[in-house]
Amino acid sequence: MPVLDDMLVHQKRRVMYVVFSAVFVVLFARLIQLQWLYGEQYGQQAEENSVRIIPKEPIRGYIYDRQGRLVVDNRPSFTVTVMPYEFDRANLPYLARLLEMPEQALDERIRKGAEYSRFVPVRVKRDVDVKTVATIEENYTRLPGVDYQIESMRTYPTKASASHILGYTREVSEEKLKMLDPQEYSQGDITGATGLEARYEWAIRGKKGAEYSTVNARGQIVKRFDEGRANRPAVDGNDLYLTMDFSLQEFAESLFADKRGALVALDPTDGGILAFVSKPDFPLASLSGITPKDLWRNLNTDPDRPLFNRATLTRYPPGSTFKMVLAVAALEKGIITPNTRMQCTGAFVLGNKVFKDLHVHGSVNVIEAIQVSCNVFFYKLMLQVGLDTWSEYAALFGFGQQTGLDISEESPGLLPTTEFMNRRYGERGWTRGFLVSLGIGQGELGVTPIQMACYAMLLANKGKFYQPHTVAKLVDRIHDTTKVLPPVLRREIQCSEETWSYVREGMRRVVQEPGGTAASARVRGIVSAGKTGTAQNPHGDDHAWYIGFAPFDNPKIAIAVLVENAGFGGRFAAPIAGMCIEKYLYGRLIRNDGMHPDVQARDTSVTHRRPAHAAAAPPEPLNGGPD
Amino acid sequence: MTTFLRERIDAPTLIAAVGLAIMGLISIYSATFDAKMSELFFKQLVATGIGVVLLAAAALTPLRTLQRMSLPVYFLAILMLFTVLLIGKQVSGSQSWLQVGPFSVQPAEFAKVATVLALAVYLSRSDVQLVRTKDILIPAVIVLVPVALILKQPDMGTAMIFFGMLLPVLYWGGSSLFTILALVSPGVVAIAALIGPTTFFISVVVLGILLWITKHNTISAALLFSVMVLVGISVQSIHSRLRPYQQKRIETFLDPNADPLGAGYNVLQSKIAIGSGGFFGKGYLQGTQTQLNFIPAQWTDFIFCVPGEELGFVGAACILLLFGLLLYSGIRIASIVKNAYASFVAVGITGVFATHIFINIGMALGLTPVVGVPLPFLSYGGSALVADMIMIGLLLNLYAHRKEY
Repeated sequence: MPVLDDMLVHQKRRVMYVVFSAVFVVLFARLIQLQWLYGEQYGQQAEENSVRIIPKEPIRGYIYDRQGRLVVDNRPSFTVTVMPYEFDRANLPYLARLLEMPEQALDERIRKGAEYSRFVPVRVKRDVDVKTVATIEENYTRLPGVDYQIESMRTYPTKASASHILGYTREVSEEKLKMLDPQEYSQGDITGATGLEARYEWAIRGKKGAEYSTVNARGQIVKRFDEGRANRPAVDGNDLYLTMDFSLQEFAESLFADKRGALVALDPTDGGILAFVSKPDFPLASLSGITPKDLWRNLNTDPDRPLFNRATLTRYPPGSTFKMVLAVAALEKGIITPNTRMQCTGAFVLGNKVFKDLHVHGSVNVIEAIQVSCNVFFYKLMLQVGLDTWSEYAALFGFGQQTGLDISEESPGLLPTTEFMNRRYGERGWTRGFLVSLGIGQGELGVTPIQMACYAMLLANKGKFYQPHTVAKLVDRIHDTTKVLPPVLRREIQCSEETWSYVREGMRRVVQEPGGTAASARVRGIVSAGKTGTAQNPHGDDHAWYIGFAPFDNPKIAIAVLVENAGFGGRFAAPIAGMCIEKYLYGRLIRNDGMHPDVQARDTSVTHRRPAHAAAAPPEPLNGGPD
Repeated sequence: MTTFLRERIDAPTLIAAVGLAIMGLISIYSATFDAKMSELFFKQLVATGIGVVLLAAAALTPLRTLQRMSLPVYFLAILMLFTVLLIGKQVSGSQSWLQVGPFSVQPAEFAKVATVLALAVYLSRSDVQLVRTKDILIPAVIVLVPVALILKQPDMGTAMIFFGMLLPVLYWGGSSLFTILALVSPGVVAIAALIGPTTFFISVVVLGILLWITKHNTISAALLFSVMVLVGISVQSIHSRLRPYQQKRIETFLDPNADPLGAGYNVLQSKIAIGSGGFFGKGYLQGTQTQLNFIPAQWTDFIFCVPGEELGFVGAACILLLFGLLLYSGIRIASIVKNAYASFVAVGITGVFATHIFINIGMALGLTPVVGVPLPFLSYGGSALVADMIMIGLLLNLYAHRKEY
């Protein structure tokens, strides 16, 4: 604008005065309306009709196993609360002593709550005993503002710990609280921290309700607001129905009582997890709610790392269990036929290095090589197949990638490719010696127990990869609706029927035929297939692996077992798998009770559990008792 | 001596500012009256002290220096807004605060003042004619840059203030009513479209007629009209694709009374508090609604309830009159200064104050949607108070130099 034109300025000033005055007139009119005309009415409302919102907590969803057995329950517990407005700070030392918590921590919790509202009770201590509650009751008048609520806490009715898959709950952290919907989460709320509790938080938490109460000018509740018409009841969380079988879970955990390792069993017909063990673990019950500081410290500093989920995070070489990958690749690419025989002299010489075998196996074909776990056969085969093809097939079996299990974190493992080896050792830095080691599942190869269970499933299914998962359905009790999470066939390995049958025949012989390395995995009356493995461990004793499935013709269970620092897979991992298969398919252990499996299969409890199985897998004459 | 002072100091502005600052401290003391909360009152007292110092500094800076500093200050403010997005402190969902030593500073508050100064520098250039599209676009960009950064925090309320400053400044600079209408209409149509198809239709018709009356040429009017219709339709289609809870949030934003127990709770409680104050109020520190904290964090956006309840109509009217006096002085100063830059600064500051006052009090009285905007001088918040004081200092400065060209 060039110059301020007096005339124009005068006119504009008038327009602005008019506009502003008009707004002020409206504000004044409203003020008069509220304070003069309706003042009395609002005054009454202020006196007796002030509304206060009392949040109502939903009940966290229950968790059931595949038989409908309750595995995660809620129990009532006492929580001490303090309303900052009424609380007398002089009582701080007394209350801290009563609740056995540091004065400073108590003070901090009350302050935090007061920042939000001084009229909303703050939860200061969870799960106190009845004696404390009684003391608070007795001193009701001497402790203004101190009260208690009954809240539900997680409890675990089974003997299984299943800590890594179920996960624990804890109070929502302050940083997390800032990112959550304030309508649904407030300070001190319980939320899922790990495992299923965290992953399915959206479903099992439920929605908070609200009760509106009329309070008087002194803040006391007079009556329900609007006859309770405005109240919203809390909507309880959905219940989870798992694919897991907790009697198998309890049993499998008991087999690991004095061991370190992991076990994953799944249903090859749909990918549902049946049992999931990572030992050592920790008691979930002691972590739900407020964790004692020393327990938390112990769990974190324990050299055995109980918080670490071995089933999805450990990376060990798979050992001989990996031989089927090479066998499938070689058969499929036409590099060998089932009649191709190789000579095993008990050692394989490559340049100036000697790769040993445990036995002299003589002339073996691929089926026999799997049965007796002949290393020399696979050393030679690996040199023919080459790293690229081998690695391509290993990837098809799911190695080097996450399985996508619906709980917490998971390692993709390590699957070497030519590119990887070149990057790591330089293009000429790695020898054929590295290659032959990979051929028998040793060296630069890392797999997780969950990957191994999927591998067993793929062999059981002749290539069908069902997404491994733990939740079968979500049930909304309030609206009586069920959301079924159907099994997902993620991919299928395209191999000829013959290839599958040769490799699977090898695996059958491992368990069922004399000379197989896993006679200890045999189950009376059931044809079982599997493969042992021993992961070489430069830092200590070798780790024992076993993968397998049963019944052979119509697999109902695929399993992977890892026992850390145990030694041979056949001796330490295979019997655990055998017993779990037996427990799952028969409903109990039959190896010591001398009853014929036929009778077992017709036992009511068993037919009830698995009607299809008894017909599908007729008992077979045994070649010898299990070890 | 008295005549000298009268010549140099604009009494109405000073009276309004001092009166409002006192009312502010009184209200915050009451709203936070509790052994544990008095901390907030003392923080505000410290901010008042800092504000007085900066007020004096703003008042005593020579006009030329101020004009030369305007653009650097504006760019500094933009830089601060960037910084706050990168390393800012998050408080209740918005990343709006920077930690500077012991203080939490809200750069958006200072960006308002800086933007007013930048706008004034541009508009006071002699070659600017606000009937040319290009000359209107530049002030729009000056405002939109900080607005975009503030919306990212997100702080919807403060972003709105910038439009409250842009419109009067453009009008003052000679923009036609058509231009002002063009800037306002898409927003009006968008809100109307959210309310419903009928209001959308009515708003399009009414604005269409107004555009027709104020138009320079048919093409621009037709173009604007089609933009308006397009905005309305796209808003409606976006709205229908929102999730139910998001739709509900918009609904309660537009009409708090629709949800008296959810988002409308604060407005309901605010009306009860103010209404129950009656003519003389319940007495200082005696307001049941205030002292029982029915409104969470009342000392920020709903501070007007405190004098409304405890001092009644008398107190609330006093505050309204003081605000009226402030806006009146702002416009008066804008019209008597000889320097164009000074005139635009005065109008911009007045626009900022007016928007704050109208949105905040309108909200407390249940007239306008709930937007988080502090009430000048009264709401708790150091940055806002200091920014208000600086703006008062600037007004006093302009008055003192009113005869300079």
